[in-house]
Amino acid sequence: MNGAQYIVQTLKQQGVTQIFGYPGGAIMPLYDALYDGGVDHLLCRHEQAAALAAVGYARASGQVGVCMATSGPGATNLITGLADAMLDSIPLVAITGQVPMSAIGTDAFQEVDVLGMSLSCTKHSYLVENVEDLGAIIAEAFEVARSGRPGPVLIDVPKNIQVALVEPKTTPVFNTDPNPLDAQALAEAQQLLANAKQPILYVGGGVGMANAVAELRAFAKRTEIPMVTTLKGIGTLDPDDELFLGMLGMHGTKAANLAVQQSDLLLVVGARFDDRVTGKLDAFAVNAKVIHLDKDASEFGKVRHAQVSINAELATVLPLLANAKISADKLAIDPWREHCQALKAEHAWRYDHPGTAIYAPLMLSQLSAALDDSAMVSCDVGQHQMWVAQHMRFTSPRNHLSSSGLGTMGFGLPAAIGAKLARPQDQSVLVSGDGSFMMNVQELGTLKRAQLPVKMVLLDNQRLGMVRQWQELFFDGRYSETILTDNPDFVAMAAAFEIPGETITCKADVEPAIQRMLAADSAYLLHVRISEQENVWPLVPPGVPNDQMMEK
Amino acid sequence: MNQYQLQVTAQFRPEVLERVLRLTRHRGFRVAQMDMTTQGANLVINMLVESERAVELLSRQLEKLLDVTLVQVLEEAQALKKIA
Repeated sequence: MNGAQYIVQTLKQQGVTQIFGYPGGAIMPLYDALYDGGVDHLLCRHEQAAALAAVGYARASGQVGVCMATSGPGATNLITGLADAMLDSIPLVAITGQVPMSAIGTDAFQEVDVLGMSLSCTKHSYLVENVEDLGAIIAEAFEVARSGRPGPVLIDVPKNIQVALVEPKTTPVFNTDPNPLDAQALAEAQQLLANAKQPILYVGGGVGMANAVAELRAFAKRTEIPMVTTLKGIGTLDPDDELFLGMLGMHGTKAANLAVQQSDLLLVVGARFDDRVTGKLDAFAVNAKVIHLDKDASEFGKVRHAQVSINAELATVLPLLANAKISADKLAIDPWREHCQALKAEHAWRYDHPGTAIYAPLMLSQLSAALDDSAMVSCDVGQHQMWVAQHMRFTSPRNHLSSSGLGTMGFGLPAAIGAKLARPQDQSVLVSGDGSFMMNVQELGTLKRAQLPVKMVLLDNQRLGMVRQWQELFFDGRYSETILTDNPDFVAMAAAFEIPGETITCKADVEPAIQRMLAADSAYLLHVRISEQENVWPLVPPGVPNDQMMEK
Repeated sequence: MNQYQLQVTAQFRPEVLERVLRLTRHRGFRVAQMDMTTQGANLVINMLVESERAVELLSRQLEKLLDVTLVQVLEEAQALKKIA
């Protein structure tokens, strides 16, 4: 067995069934081993898309995503996907081919120091220098990717290692021991909760990553503390709970932001005080004490001081936190609950938009109503991304696939492809914008190749909408390089990939078009023309507190 | 500007020093003085770093590096003698 065949065997031992990638010279032995190696591989049409498809696969399934590429430009094209996974804590293993060891450092054809390039956008990275190390490195890479705070790991494999002979052996599958729980910190947290009059449960993406959604919902049900989520936390909480106030932060709901600003205690679970969440940091929830629960201790005190921080498995600590003293009928917060419910009612979304033109928030709420709870919605980055977060309803964090930390335009289509392969029984829907869609539009070819019935809703305002919005509001309407009136005919472009579609332009067309799209047994492009003047509201402008939101 | 003395012990790999320095820079710390020695399979780095930020913001991130086995924040005066 050679090194490449051993890699495939080891991946199978780690439970890998699906890989995303793109071949090339320095990784040809590995592709040869994949040819009849028993692991499915999806050829994407760009390495960045292969990495993002692996991210979508990982996010939708909870498994480690795997992608591969050749050396040089193949490897550099993966970098954006690795950075995306790093910022959103997604478990990913990327394998790159490398020029032979003897050629490393000679500026050989398609040589790049991908280990050096990856240092800032991976949890860890390896250059395999000895074929005997391959199995242990791959096993360790999977453990690093999924343990603690998950993230991406890169393994760079020189071509001579791929063709070297190796004695096959079974590689270990690690199980990491959990951290011991700090009982004193837990007691202090319980005391803070018991004393709070205006607490808020502030939930981030870490809860879903830690498979602690059930425990969190049980905690929320037991305590009935008003709740908010971050962008990545969407789907973690029950969207129908009357105490769920929505997303907080720059484009959060007014109810969520006002409640957080008025709170006297933030119970922060699996979140990291991102700047898009806090707005002006020294004005963020100024009267609130903080209890911070996280798997990653380096988040404690990084941005906001916490009175109590607990480094633990969230699924373990949440049931312990909700002891007999901490329950809905023991916490003396009825007036606060009523106040938060009043805030929610007062600042509910309105969809009574005048005219016949399609109003994207209304359209997305209609789309959401037409989807099963199991449907996965991927989106790109920009105005449509915020509208999805605001106006669509998610019952699981694995159903809302949105590039949160890195804000990667071009994320949506490959993520939707990866998600569909992860959960073929569930519907995979992409909501994109015209700017983002063009960033990885070549993946229509991947859809065609794999015959994946991904439904695509393209909100087209012929603009880089979010940048245009900021130009309008903060740059005196100087629309520098954001006007895209020269967009292609998107439906014709999809047709070139044998994907059917249609264009709609008015409100009355929306519901029947959604039904046609969902009824199609193939991929489908619903091209939706919307006004270029529509903005995302509310908006917390840069440098102001979250309770000073701009509204339409 | 605060000064902190750190001692980082790591498993030796060719890129470990690069990892530590990259992370130190990226997290907003400037290396004012440094020495590095190999001790068998280990690497020991003594660093005097400067920043407006709390040292925990650096030490906790360094602890997360896979190769790093120990991060100690030392008394500044004691550590300066060590480097000297």
